[in-house]
Amino acid sequence: MEMTGIILVVTFFVLLLLNVPISISIGIATLLAMVMSMDFTPAVTTIAQRMAGGLNSFALLAIPFFVLSGLIMGRGGIAKRLIECAMALIGALPGGLALVNVVSCMLFGAISGSAVATTSAIGSFMLPEMKKAGYDTNFSAAVTAAASTTGMLIPPSNILIVYAIASGGVSIAALFMAGYVPGIMVGLALMLVCFVYAKMKGFPLSARLPLSVVVSKTVAALPSLFLIFLVIGGIVGGIFTATEAGAIAVVYALLLAVAVYKEVSASALPEIFLKAAETTAIVMLLIAASTAMSWLLSFDGIPQALSSALLSLSDNPLLILLLINLLLIVVGAFLDMTPAVLIFTPIFLPVALELGMSELQFGIMLVLNLSIGLCSPPVGAVLFITCAIAKTKLENIIRPLIPLYIAMFVVLMLVTYVPWISEALPSALGF
Amino acid sequence: MNFIRIIDKSLAGALIFAMFSILITVIWQVISRYVLKDPASVTEELSRFILIWIGILGAAYAYRQNAHLGFNLIVERQRYQVRRLLLTFVELMVIFFCLAVMLFGGSELVLLTLELEQISAALGIKMGVIYSVLPLSGCLIVLYAITNIITLWRTNDTGAD
Repeated sequence: MEMTGIILVVTFFVLLLLNVPISISIGIATLLAMVMSMDFTPAVTTIAQRMAGGLNSFALLAIPFFVLSGLIMGRGGIAKRLIECAMALIGALPGGLALVNVVSCMLFGAISGSAVATTSAIGSFMLPEMKKAGYDTNFSAAVTAAASTTGMLIPPSNILIVYAIASGGVSIAALFMAGYVPGIMVGLALMLVCFVYAKMKGFPLSARLPLSVVVSKTVAALPSLFLIFLVIGGIVGGIFTATEAGAIAVVYALLLAVAVYKEVSASALPEIFLKAAETTAIVMLLIAASTAMSWLLSFDGIPQALSSALLSLSDNPLLILLLINLLLIVVGAFLDMTPAVLIFTPIFLPVALELGMSELQFGIMLVLNLSIGLCSPPVGAVLFITCAIAKTKLENIIRPLIPLYIAMFVVLMLVTYVPWISEALPSALGF
Repeated sequence: MNFIRIIDKSLAGALIFAMFSILITVIWQVISRYVLKDPASVTEELSRFILIWIGILGAAYAYRQNAHLGFNLIVERQRYQVRRLLLTFVELMVIFFCLAVMLFGGSELVLLTLELEQISAALGIKMGVIYSVLPLSGCLIVLYAITNIITLWRTNDTGAD
């Protein structure tokens, strides 16, 4: 069993550092570890079977739909209208454009379900705007990277769907509700940092817009905001499943972008569908490979062994939870979020339950924790996209990211130790 | 490389078609339940199967687009000669995985499920047919990886990039 674990970890890291795609690194590590305890043919057949089986889930189907609706909304003028609405409302405050960036990421995250879609949709619009207004490019890039992760918690969220599957059947609707308060708290914490930073650095103030403009921009954003009520209302009201809500979000976004705003022509749709298929496939291959690795781990009894080892370390639940969080932060820095959730939920969830945490609270803590990894080096998808859009180097945005990391960590600690933050909303709604 | 281009086009076409189909299938599921009051029984299974195909077949397309997530900070800092060797190693690893797991393991799985006559519950499709996407996509990725290696070694040695 130790042997399996060592081979898994070492092979994975060596291949990862040599630039082998993460999903393939997971696959090869699983294969090498598996042939230690069984013959080659059953090993590869089992992996192939687990890979296909991992994708055979109706809940996962929500992911291509939210990816697709995110792409349509990014190109179809929906992101732009949300940004303009936020700009009209809070743009004139100190650090206004940074605050607008955070709020836009929260709103867009709330309708697209993916941090990567949020980064490219909001970043490609906000980063040039902030530069024009005299904001430091590296600071702006750092804010975009950190803020785009709020969409991981604010529903709909693809990663919460993955967690629902990994945990073996937590209600997606309950998870979505549990994500609201922590997600908004992260957003507010980031905004506080931006506000203080802008005051200290004396960033230029934007002019206050007349009330008539504020009203008209808000009205223009209403059809986009209605999507949130449609998707979340439908799921929470039990009218349709998360997957069906995703499909409905696609249809609504298509109507808005093609027929109402007329910013996407029908002839551009095949290309958008293809891009969505590509993004979906990247996530699906990660899920497929992680499912195989996760199977191997439980076949060798590794989750149970690690869980009991963790529990034997200390009698103090507060300390064990802190330890889990620190471990996850390291994991999140190296591993993409999807495999991290699939591989580590079976390991840490039993410990968390043992310590009296609910499945909901653990899921939110896990996702928030890994969100920090999503915007931290060396393997942070969001970070690379932001750098590419801002045309800056990774090392330059680490410094401005530090206060934002601290803000996220503070919220993470609150979520870890105060169950009410995650559980109040779902229990008030009767989940 | 005309052959490769035909494969690229067919693959892209198939994925676009699959995305449209999966959307229509799930929308139909909602319509049949609420509007027609006669819930369709096959849509749930059909959409799951299309998802498997998009995921596995799309993996080949994403590989062609060099879109899979990876960590390239170390490799990019090497001089061209070293980098080319490392990139070749990556392609070989991908080929190894695709041959072993997707092509060989996938084919074994297909044959096994055909032999056991596993049939899907609602549609009555042979599961072997669904799983055949694994060896198919494995072949495509191997083909793309070989193309990548050829491109790597065909360019001149100075690597003026």
